[in-house]
Amino acid sequence: MLKPSSRPHWATKSLSADTKTPPEGEIEMGNSKHLGLWLLAPAGVFVFLFFLAPVILTGVFGFTNMSTATGITGGAYMISDTSMRPLRSRYGENELADRLTQKVYTIDDAGLKAALEAGGDAAAIAELGDKFLDQSFDRRRGVETAIKSLSARPSTTRGIKIISAQFERSVVNVRFDSKEDLLVAISDFGIALNEGQTEALGQVAYTGWTFTTQNFKTMIELPDTSKTLINTLFYVFTTLILFNTGFALVLSITTHYMPAGPAGFFRSIWLLPRVTPPVLYVLMWKWLAWDTGFLSVVLEPMGFAPRNWMLDSPANAWTFIILINGIVGASMGMLIFSSAIKAIPQSLFHASEVDGANRGQQVWHIILPQLRWPILFITIYQTLSLLTSFEYILLATDGGPGGATEVWALSTYLKALSNYGGALQYGYGAALSLVLVIIGISVSLIYLKLFDFKNLTAPPKIE
Amino acid sequence: MSTNYRRWPTILFLGILTAPLVLMYVYLFVDTITNSPPGSMIPNEFTAEHWRFLTETIPGRPSIWLATWNTFVFATVTTVIVLVVSSSAGYALSRLQLPARSFFLGGIMVLHAFPTVTLLIAIFLILQMLGLYNSLAGVILVKSALELPFGIWIMKGFYDTVPWEIEMAGIQDGASRFQVWTKLVLPQVKPAILALGIFSFLAGWSEFILPLVLAPDNKVQVLSVYLAALIADDQNFDMALFKSVGIFYVIPVIILFVFFQNRLMNIYSGGNKG
Repeated sequence: MLKPSSRPHWATKSLSADTKTPPEGEIEMGNSKHLGLWLLAPAGVFVFLFFLAPVILTGVFGFTNMSTATGITGGAYMISDTSMRPLRSRYGENELADRLTQKVYTIDDAGLKAALEAGGDAAAIAELGDKFLDQSFDRRRGVETAIKSLSARPSTTRGIKIISAQFERSVVNVRFDSKEDLLVAISDFGIALNEGQTEALGQVAYTGWTFTTQNFKTMIELPDTSKTLINTLFYVFTTLILFNTGFALVLSITTHYMPAGPAGFFRSIWLLPRVTPPVLYVLMWKWLAWDTGFLSVVLEPMGFAPRNWMLDSPANAWTFIILINGIVGASMGMLIFSSAIKAIPQSLFHASEVDGANRGQQVWHIILPQLRWPILFITIYQTLSLLTSFEYILLATDGGPGGATEVWALSTYLKALSNYGGALQYGYGAALSLVLVIIGISVSLIYLKLFDFKNLTAPPKIE
Repeated sequence: MSTNYRRWPTILFLGILTAPLVLMYVYLFVDTITNSPPGSMIPNEFTAEHWRFLTETIPGRPSIWLATWNTFVFATVTTVIVLVVSSSAGYALSRLQLPARSFFLGGIMVLHAFPTVTLLIAIFLILQMLGLYNSLAGVILVKSALELPFGIWIMKGFYDTVPWEIEMAGIQDGASRFQVWTKLVLPQVKPAILALGIFSFLAGWSEFILPLVLAPDNKVQVLSVYLAALIADDQNFDMALFKSVGIFYVIPVIILFVFFQNRLMNIYSGGNKG
């Protein structure tokens, strides 16, 4: 770092114009190797936290049964109806399950103390302790019979019930932080477990998530999966061919044959859907399709009953989905193809006109060959984005009617993050996303091959 | 261009294709200030009633001004983070000797192409674990991170076009590389910073999925989520109200689009998700 006094003339001059402050603190090194790492570090932190970690965790979560029921930070151990079901069915421990879910009434010091605090008759409680300490009863009636047998028995039924209620002992629906705590409680409860039972109980009583390959089995077995897959392929390729490349070509070629004024006008109009926030853009389509919307009002005199044109049939839903996504997608192709066409030397067009070529021949022999690479670029790029983005479908049809427009990416969202389906299945959703993540990484790597990578990584000239 | 051909057929052809889109946008504006009789699309009166949401809070929704403020904070802070991090990382990748430089470059390129929305579930769980779920800070960090590969890539591209001679001269005058960057190179890429800034702001302002999943709470709700929730509520269906909220929401976008259309066209064709 230079001292201010030795600052060269250019530095003082540009100092006032420069409003950017250096990132965190002064960097003291002239060595640009370290400077580079410093400048890259913040980006590295972001990339690690929100790219690398999520990629890895998607893989990890995909192999868990994580859901709203299991929580995400690990769980507790609990005896409950839910956890006893697998104990009976998977381990055949019916008797153990019965005993664990039973309530037991034991006359102990803690119970006696609690009975006093609850306002029970002191003399009766003292006598109960003397005569029945450490005795257990299967039912509350047993305790109450014992109380009634006392000489200092309370005069009212309520007095008896206040005392008897304090001796109920149960391990059901109590959360234990560790397996050891649970086992201690069970042995205090008077049940001795053998090794196999301890193992089984540890498995079934755990409320947190566990590792499993079940998600992938479910994915293969469910008929929904293949339907979603077919939907996805249909959606991606139809939109891609008709709009993202097809209509984009139409837009760029027609505006090419126009004076600059109208060309700019049309390009701006067709860029609007990309600039319009998705929520508002889809709202316009909903207005068009709603049962009191534009189409219904305009088509009613022609004998079509008003209806929600977007959701009344799968075919209509798909038409809208493809239009909504395709028009946004087409604008990107339009811009890229237009600039590629602009790069074609004018002389080529003039020469071909002199030779008597018509417009169709110009398009076929001059324009399209020039667009080969841009078309490839758009195809790969848009395949990936159509495959993974679900924003517009979510807003427009939410996968409806009846799941007809549910694509893979949307289904990951609906399974894992949308409240409508009841419990959120994070694990299953992550497993579904993992498929997309793997496709995403593979296609992104193809990019590296397609770009002129050596050129991009030419070494710096000052070292 | 190609003056030998008649122009009006192409203009007519594209005009017909464009008409429905124009119609949708025209009605988007018209419906917010007029009423039409039932069963007709032709307005018969002007009204300001669809804009009443500006003064009275819609039941069950946060105040529109709170949502606007949240959106503003979200878009602005995201933009600042993206600009600071991208302009430094972009410079490092463009000009500085780094260990494993080609690995970093390749990595940024892969990240740029990678569809980030697939990571949503994992990011949701990470924010839950970090305790940043349902907070603006959390969703700002995520949005900035997801914009970064694009930002770094764009900035690197712009730095690449700055002549080396400028830096050589700076070094010869005794400046450090850091000074060369801040005092000489950054002023050269001001247009890039402006373009990336506008783009990031618009991206933040329009973002829907991330706030929907990561910060849906009324207190931190942004306008996109606010509007979507309004539309999804079957109890109060009022298309004109939705459109008015939508127009209110989109005002900054319109302003930026009108003033910076050409810059945006350039940066959009540089490739972004969608």
